[in-house]
Parts: sequence; structure tokens; C-alpha cells
Amino acid sequence: MIMLLFLIGKAIAEVAESQFHAKMMSSIFYYLDMLQTIFYHIQSVDARDFIMGLSSTTPVSETTQLCVFDLRRGQHEGQELDKILFFFPADCPFSKQLSVIGLSEGLITFTRIFSPEAACDVIEAEKHSHVFYEAEPDIWMVMVVEKNKEAEAIWRIDALRKVLKEVHSLFVTFHGSVRLLLEKDLNGGLVRAHLYSFITDYIIDFFAGKKLQLPFFRDCLKERGTVQMLTIGREAAIGVQSLVRAIESSCGTNAACSSLILFQDLLVSTTLSPVRFDFIAQDDTVNLFTYAVLRLTPRALSSKTSSWSYLRKDNPSSQITAESILTNTGSESKDFYTLRDVSPDSQSQRYHVPRPLQRDRWSKGKDGFLVTDIWGADFDTVVSTTPTLWLKQTEEKVYLYVYQQKNVTVIILVPISSLAEQGISMVKQQLLENVSLKILLIEEKLTRGWGGENAYHVAGYRYLLFDSNKNMSRASPPGKVATLAKESLLALKKLREEVDLEKSRTKKDNPSHEKDLEVCIRANNNSWVIARVTRGKELYMVLEKASETLLYASDAVEKFSNRYCDRAFSLD
Amino acid sequence: MFGATSKSQPGVASSGSGALSHVYIQHPPLRCNTPGSRGLYYDDGNKLLLSLTSDQVLAWDIAQPTSHNALSADSIGEGPVLSIRFSLDRKVIGIQRSNHEIQFINRESRETFTQRCRSDAECIVGFFWTDCRTCDLIFIKTSGLDLYSYVPELKALRLVETKKLSVSWYVYTHESRMVLLASGMQCKTFTGFQFSFAGVVRLPRFEMGMAKYEANKKPVLAVEDVHIVTIYGRIYSLQVDRVAMLLHLYRFYRDAVVQQGSVPIYSSRIAVSVIDNVLLVHQVDAKVVILYDVYSDSRAPISAPLPLRLKGYPKANASSSRTGGKDMIHMETNEVSDHEGNIYGDAWVFLNPDLICDNVHGHLWRIHLDLEAIAASSSEVSSVLEFLQRRKLESIQARQLSLAIMRTLILERRPIPMVSRAIDVLVASYSHSIKTGSSLQGSMIRAEIGGHGENGSINRDTWSTVNNRSSTCSDPGEDLNNDLPSEVSGVDVEQSALQSQTLGNGGNLTDISGSQVSAAISSEEMYISVFALVEEEMASEPVYLLAIITEYFRSAASEKVRVNPNLNVMTVQLLACSERYAELGLFIVNKIVEPSKEVALQLLESGRQHCETRKLGMDMLRQLSLHHDYVLMLVQDGYYLEALRYARKNKVNTIRPSLFLEAAFASNDSQHLAAVLRFFSDFLPGFKNTSDHSTYCHYLNEMNSSYIAA
Repeated sequence: MIMLLFLIGKAIAEVAESQFHAKMMSSIFYYLDMLQTIFYHIQSVDARDFIMGLSSTTPVSETTQLCVFDLRRGQHEGQELDKILFFFPADCPFSKQLSVIGLSEGLITFTRIFSPEAACDVIEAEKHSHVFYEAEPDIWMVMVVEKNKEAEAIWRIDALRKVLKEVHSLFVTFHGSVRLLLEKDLNGGLVRAHLYSFITDYIIDFFAGKKLQLPFFRDCLKERGTVQMLTIGREAAIGVQSLVRAIESSCGTNAACSSLILFQDLLVSTTLSPVRFDFIAQDDTVNLFTYAVLRLTPRALSSKTSSWSYLRKDNPSSQITAESILTNTGSESKDFYTLRDVSPDSQSQRYHVPRPLQRDRWSKGKDGFLVTDIWGADFDTVVSTTPTLWLKQTEEKVYLYVYQQKNVTVIILVPISSLAEQGISMVKQQLLENVSLKILLIEEKLTRGWGGENAYHVAGYRYLLFDSNKNMSRASPPGKVATLAKESLLALKKLREEVDLEKSRTKKDNPSHEKDLEVCIRANNNSWVIARVTRGKELYMVLEKASETLLYASDAVEKFSNRYCDRAFSLD
Repeated sequence: MFGATSKSQPGVASSGSGALSHVYIQHPPLRCNTPGSRGLYYDDGNKLLLSLTSDQVLAWDIAQPTSHNALSADSIGEGPVLSIRFSLDRKVIGIQRSNHEIQFINRESRETFTQRCRSDAECIVGFFWTDCRTCDLIFIKTSGLDLYSYVPELKALRLVETKKLSVSWYVYTHESRMVLLASGMQCKTFTGFQFSFAGVVRLPRFEMGMAKYEANKKPVLAVEDVHIVTIYGRIYSLQVDRVAMLLHLYRFYRDAVVQQGSVPIYSSRIAVSVIDNVLLVHQVDAKVVILYDVYSDSRAPISAPLPLRLKGYPKANASSSRTGGKDMIHMETNEVSDHEGNIYGDAWVFLNPDLICDNVHGHLWRIHLDLEAIAASSSEVSSVLEFLQRRKLESIQARQLSLAIMRTLILERRPIPMVSRAIDVLVASYSHSIKTGSSLQGSMIRAEIGGHGENGSINRDTWSTVNNRSSTCSDPGEDLNNDLPSEVSGVDVEQSALQSQTLGNGGNLTDISGSQVSAAISSEEMYISVFALVEEEMASEPVYLLAIITEYFRSAASEKVRVNPNLNVMTVQLLACSERYAELGLFIVNKIVEPSKEVALQLLESGRQHCETRKLGMDMLRQLSLHHDYVLMLVQDGYYLEALRYARKNKVNTIRPSLFLEAAFASNDSQHLAAVLRFFSDFLPGFKNTSDHSTYCHYLNEMNSSYIAA
């Protein structure tokens, strides 16, 4: 029998708690009735799922599905396909796609009755977890992951949601919002083509061999969707700021250009401020940082394997490419998502879909700027088209320049409106003249001060420090986290889920008030698993030294807080 | 004889004063003309201009040119006078009556005695008083030097030491305490002695180079062709080479004399002045002056040759009204037009370091630099600023000019690298001034050949240096300690020179302004006079200003100079106003902006619109352990329970309980209110007896009852 652990129930409970009227009673029963129907639906989906899992010939993960759909489309019988914007795996039969999306839609519609602002987050079925994310109004992303006894399948739901959030955020950065693309092409072909190549390129990074490995419990000391900062001294910081100004003035435009500076896979500086919209930070910095670490930094360019960044997967030896995923299909649905435009009036015209996340398409040019042909190449000049992207902060389309000097990657964003196409080479020239020497000096200075991959390791601690306001995190290096016992990490995963839940409750109760929270638990293997939350800053910690007292654990946190967090967590 | 370096050559008078100039003389001059004057003498040891009448000597103290009346008049009796010098305590007058005898008159007792040469074969070339420890008086004779000490009780001189060598002529300046003795056929072999307080230093003998006319004809070096000047505390000798038309610079080290380049000359008659360490080479025939700043190795002139200007001249068209300068008709009515305006007239004698004496009319002019004109003449901003920052005499003006240049640069939105270089100059200068300022207290005065040392070996002229007098009177530095003075940093030397100057001039000085010694611009001034001023005009465009401020931070950090706290606040303000929150975060987290209460409060203020910024302010308060403010802010933000916890931990008991109670009451949460009440009941002795307690207990009861009722 299927067990449901759902927010729906919670929603009902809340309603019951707050407004316990006789009048409501009847409607509750009505809802319960409706729920019953959905249960059956889920049941059948799951059963079908199971059968298809066995029978499928798809080599790649048959146990994970990811879909994007639009609630505003396909509202009439027979047009259901219209709402599907993306489905992974693409070779999945439409019937199954529709059933997954239909269930999701049903749940969303149902839960919205109780909680119009934030509909359902997750369905925990017996064998699957359905993770929901409303990326844009009525544009939903749902990820279905299988649960099984294997350790790899112990998920932290919030981490999975962060994956959805990340890919959507990146998508918007490069292609603009899904809704906007839908408005451009009512058919949906345009947005499908974009989503298909983009998400597929994104997912490839999660493949380990032929297996799709999403963030699971061992990744609990990481936080997706955050930047990792390089800690630098005052003088170096001033030097960096001076460089930032020089870049700004070199762009020689009236409009402000923006820049990010990275040292290896760590952020040194940014001029992009997060924009707050409905208490959700729209952070260009995070997106560009993520993209840089995925595709631009020296490490990404050389596609070296070992990485201490959460963004890099450990197994690049996988021969999986987007093509291999694509060519496997051959089913009817492939044409549905890919580039075929079947409308008769534009036969020769195809969508040109840049694929910013495609691997190994960036390389370092002779002048220090990175070049790519992702955005196409102008055949007359044999010069690649300059990449462009959308900034959320200014809602402006900008050119993307990337300059690299050894460990330092400088990302420069110049508004298109301020620059004619011929101005591009001029900007590059000016940058080379005015700032390349400065970059060289900064690079040397930062390299001298760099403590190596384990620079932020604190002996005896395994920690994650996360500032949800600034979208910054710092954690023990993965190599050190790997030494932790499974029990500790599982305990941490549970703890984090509790904290996630508590956080989302607080947020709903009073969005402007941040709660302090402190939890210390003793895991099976006698390790201490600790969480502290204070005013938007979160600290998670695993202390594995056995047979220590609670006092000791608390002391250890205090010390850590005093030493590394400016006493932010020293509460009492 | 006019001092030792007097010279008089016929010059060609012609007009040449234009509107543009870099140096000027200020009208009116010090008028020292007395009826029946037999001539003017300059006593550079005492800064006295002496005018001789038939039996009197009148003295003007040029260090205090407040009055045109003579400072003193002493009767000296009849008789020829070859040279005359007051002793350094001004108690005794020494008068060289002939080549063989010098008469001494005690000004108080009127006692006199005469010192004669021992043999008729030698004759006295000159004499000067010295503040050297071992002797008081030096006679320069054709056969060498006699060092005497003056014994008032005996009314006689006691011979201390004799230095045998042949002397053709000599050059001496009290400023350098150095005498150069010329000898040889061409008079180009020199021996130097420095009579500093610590003792007598003999310089190695050296030769000055001279180009030849022809193979057989060897020119003879004349006394007027050699000058001793002191620039940035270094002692140089300048030699005019008439054949090569070059002015050679020789620099004196303790154990060596090194030629350091030459500059071309364009006149057969050359005079040199040093004003505020700027070397002026007067091309007398051409009536122009060329300025050199010999601080660096470069011997390029500061600016183009320009005439000397007469400033404050009563007539507007001074130059045109001047007629033939050669007709020196003494008519009072004509005086102004005839000779006061006669720039580079024949009667001009240039006195070390910056004076011009009109020998005929008894006028004394002081040469001034027109810093404003010099600053305006060059577009090389950073070098102009460097030049200005090295100025000591009119340091206030130099400072004002520097500030004005800086402001203009910013307001004109010059390229950032250019402004950055300018900032570097100012900050480096300030940093040096701090370092050397502290070194004045110690004995860090590094000497070159004892050019300065204890007790004012460099006794530069004081007319304007009164402005610059340092108010600190510290222990005198050690003299001649450094064997390799060439490595001495210029600013150090400068400072020490000034220091010794102060000492040397002793009571002669009045501290007029009590202002700073150097033109250096402190962080405070940089903020007040540059950033605060330009900010008002650039408020609409903070990006550029931010870039400049960043450059200033960088410069200050590299020189380890503290930034003015107000600038930190302003930076935060600017960043917040332009909504550059990401950068603001970086400025705070990386401590580019130094944490302070002011900055924290500004962050809180700016954070009204942006909660992240407000948090930065809160964090800063906490990090600075400003517990009281931190707790207050927590309460203000509605985190009263957290505030209580924090207050208890950090023992903050300066905040009224009612604040917390009000906040808890406002939140309409009876549990919280109860918690706060309980907190104070438990931890604040006597709280239960206060009105707060009863009031809020009452409120709590009401809340509970209404809750139940509902």
C-alpha cells in the first residue's frame, strides 16, 4: 500500500487548527474525498512506473524523471501535450509523461486550495519522491526520484529542489524566462528546444558513468545555489576593488558594466547585487559564479577531475554526452522537444539554440580572453559571436567577456544597449591595455596568499557555513567530509531536513522575522551533529570524536564561531 | 667687499619683464639707504644687512623686516673698512681695517682691540665668526686659516689652530658652515673645511673642471664663478664654466666630492639663488631665470626660462615705464620708475640664498617662488604635486595648491590612473612626513658632510622660514654620523635641515603661524578639503568618485596611512546610495572600510532600505563589542528575546526594561511578554517593585483573559 507523507495533510491540519468552523467541516470532508481520488491515481502511476522501469531499454537512469510544464496550457481535453515543456528522459512515452504531469498538476491544484501562495512542495510515496518547484508563476518543475535501500538513494529533498532551482536560474540567465519564450512562440517549440538542450546539458554533469547521481545525503555539507568566497586580506581586497574600478572605466560606456572576479573556483569580487523579489533572492552573482565554475574556470577548462567544489562531479570519465542521451531515443517524443519546426511556413528556418552549458566549448584565446562558438560564429569575419546573457538585476541583456590569467578568471558584462557590435573589439582592446597588468599583479598576490584546496579545513570539524541572505557558503573540503561515517552523515541529513522544515514554517509565519535555532544530536555512532541558525546564517557541524559530552560539543561550536564566524553563532 | 661671495659685473640692461613668471620680488623692498652711506655689507651669520656711514654702522635685521628703521647703530670710528661682521651673539663687531689687521669693538663696553698678522708676508683675505665648538673666529689668510677663540676677559683672541695652505680666494656661507679655499694657477684647486658645531671637518682636496679656450690659454676661475648652495640639506658647489657655458654641480659628501651633472647657461653673467630648495639660475644678461629642482637625478629645468617679476609695483605698467636702467640718477621722485623696477640692474648683488641687494640704492629684495604659476605651467600633475609637496617655505600655499589640483582632477573626471598617481604622491608625502616627524624627536638627523647638525649648521635665511618653524625643539641630532649620506632620503635631510635651522636661529625667530612644517596633506585634510567638497558636486555620479576613493584606500594602505573615519562613512553612504550592495558587502567583510561605530551606524541607516546592509551594521556593532547599541538595535528590530539573551551574556544592564517590555507587548504574544517579565523578575533585583512590573503584569493578565474569552 502506498504511504503518503504529504504537505496536503499538513495544510488540512493547519486549516483545521486555525479556523475550526462547522462550516469548514463539510469542505474538509470534500477535500478528503478528493484526496482519496488522488491516492488512487498515485497508486496507479507508481505501479505503472514500476513496470516500465523493468521493461525500459533506456540505459540512463530510468529511475529519475524531471519535467517542466505550464499549468496555463493544454487545459482542454486532447491538448494535454501542450503543457509539457520538457521531460527527462525524453524517450519516455507520452502516456507516462502525461501521467506524471497529470498527477503533479492535480496535487498542485488541490493544495492551492489551502495554500494559494505556496502549493505543494513534495510528495513522499513509498517508492518515489516527487519534488516540486514553481520556477515561474504556473511554470512548474517536478523531479521524481526513486527511493530504494541503496545509500545513494537517500535524498535530502531541499537539495534536490535546489537542483531544479539552479537549472532554472541558469536557464533564465541565458535565455530569459520560460514565460517570455512561450509568449514569443505560442506553439511552444521555441521554449521546448531551449529547455531540451539546456537541461540535458546540465544534467550531464550529474552522470557518474551511466548512472545519474543527484545530490544525496553525503552532500549534506554542501549548499547548492551559493557562492564560495576566497578570504583575502585588506590590502589584496583593495587591490581587487581597484581592479574592479579599472575594469569599469575601461568599458568606456555610459552604462555601468559589471564584473565578477574568481580565483580558481572561488569568488573574489562581484558588482552584481542580489535583487529581492518576494523574499526570493534573484542573484546574478550566484548564476554567473555557478556557470563559471561549471564551464569557465581553469579547472573547468582543463576538465580536471578532482574538485573540492560541490558543482563539479567526480566522474568526468563518463562518456556521456548530450548526444548520447539524445540519440538513444528515436521515439516520437524526441521530435517533440528537439529542433524540428514543423510549421509549414518556415521550413528552412530553424531555431538557433545556443547551448551555453555544452561541455568543452570554451577555450582560451591568445589574448587571454576565453572564446567559444556556442553562440555561433560569424562566417564573414571568422569571429565567434560574443556571448550574451540576461541580468536579473538590471533586466538587461549583456555581452559576456571572460578574461583569464592563470588562476584568475574575470567575467565582464557590458550592456548590449551601450555597445554597437563593432565596439566589442574596442572594449577588449581597452581592457587589455588598461587592466591586464593589474590582473597579472592581483593574480600573483592572490596566488601567494592562497592556502590550497584545504585552506578552509578546520581540524577536528566537518562543517557547512551558509549565509542564506548573501547566498554564500563555506564548507569543509570534500576530501575531509569523505572521512565521515555514514551514520554521521545520515544523522546530519535528518537534522538538515528538520531545519529546512522549521525554516519554511518560520518563513510562512512571519517572513521578516528570522528565528534562532540550535540543535545538537548524538548520532548512533556517538558523533555530534549540530545545527545552529541565527538571523539567516546557518552552521552545520559534525564532530566525530567519540564519548564527548554535550558541553564539549557546545564548546567546540562556540570556539568555531568565535574564530571563524565573527562570533555570529555565539548566542549565550 | 660684500660678504665673501660678492661680485659685481657690468650687465646689459634691457627690458624683459613679462606677465608670465615663476619667481617674483615683492614691492616694496626693504629700504636700507641712509644718507652718507659708504656701502652695504651683508652679515649672513646674523642675517644682518649693515650700512656704513662715516663713523657708524647701521644694522637691519632681515629676519624680521618689520620696519625700515635700522635695528641698531653702532659707532665704529673712522677708518677704512674692508669687511665687517658681528659676532654670532652680536656682542662684538669685527672690522677688517686692512689686509693685515682686524679691529674688534665690544658693543657694550666700547672696548676695542686689534688683531694683526704675525708677518707682513701674509695678508688677511677675510674672516668670519663661527659657532664651531673649538673656535669662534676664522681668519682666512693667503697662507692658510687661523682658528681663534675669543676671550672677552682678556680682550684678545687666542689662537687655537693654524691650517697651512695657500689661498687665492675663498667662498663661505654661514648656511653651510663651509669654506672653500681656492688655490693654484687657475684657482681651480679647492680645499674645503666645514666648521660645524661638532668640530672641524676637512674635505678632500678636489679640482673643478674647466674647459679650455685654446691649447695655451688657461682660464682662471674667479670668486664670482663659484657658489655654495644648500638644497634639501645637501651641500652643493656650483661652478660657472664660461667657456663651456655650463654650470657644474658638485655635491659634498663627508669623504668625497662628486660632480653631479651640469646645466647649460645662456648668459655670461650668472647668479644663483636657492629658494625653498629650488635652485634658481639667473641668466642676468638675458634677464630670465631658470628653475631647477635638483631633488632627483634629472637636471631638467622645472619650466621654461621666464623673467623675474616685480610684484605689488605701484604702477600698472611697470615694465614699460622703466627707462634706461643705466642712468642711476638719485632722484626721489623717479626712484620707483628708475631703479626699483630695474630688474637685473647692474647694481644688483645676489646674496645667498634668496636675497637681492641693490647696492646703489640700498634696497633689499627677497625672491619668492610663485608656486601657483609653477603649478599652472605644467600638465604633469603628479610631478607638479611632488614639487609642491617638497616645498617648505610656503607650505600652506603649497598645500592649498595641492588640494586644489586634486579637487580639479576629480571634478574634471580625469582618467583614474592619472588621479591615482596624484593620490599616490600626496599619500607618500604624508607618510614620509609622519615618519620624519617622529624622527625629529630622536637623533636621526643624518648628515652629509655635516651640512647640518647640531645647533644649526645650516642656518638658512629666516625671513620666510619663520612660517615653517617647527614648534618642537628636540635634542640636536648627531652630526656627521653617516658615512654614506648619499643614501639618505631627501625628505629626512630636509626635515633635519629645518630642525637645525630652528635651533640655529634661536631667539631670532618669532613663531608667526605655528603651522605645520611640511606641505603634506593629512588624511583629515584629504577628507575635508577634497572628498567632502567634491562629493557635494558629484553626488549624482558616485561611480567615479567611488573609483577615486578606492584608489585612495589603495594608496593609503600601501603607505600604511590611516584613512579618515569620515571617509569610511562616506564610502558606505556612496555605495549604498548607488545600490552597490554587493560591493558594500565586500568593502565591509574585507575590512577595506575600517570597522567603527560611525560606520556601523551608517550601515544601519543605509540599511533601512536593504536588510542585508542593516545586518552588516549589526554584525559590526557586535564585533566591535558595542553591546549596548547592539542590544538596542536588536530590540528595535523586534528581536527582543535574542536581545535579552545577548544582554545577559554580555552584562548589558544599561537599557531600560520597559523597552523590552514594550516590544514584547507590541508583538501581542503573551508568552513572550511573560518571558520578558520573568527574565527581569529573575535577573534584575528590585524589578518586582517597579511600576513597569505592575503595569506589564496587568497587561499580561488582560491579554490572557481576553485570549481565554475569545
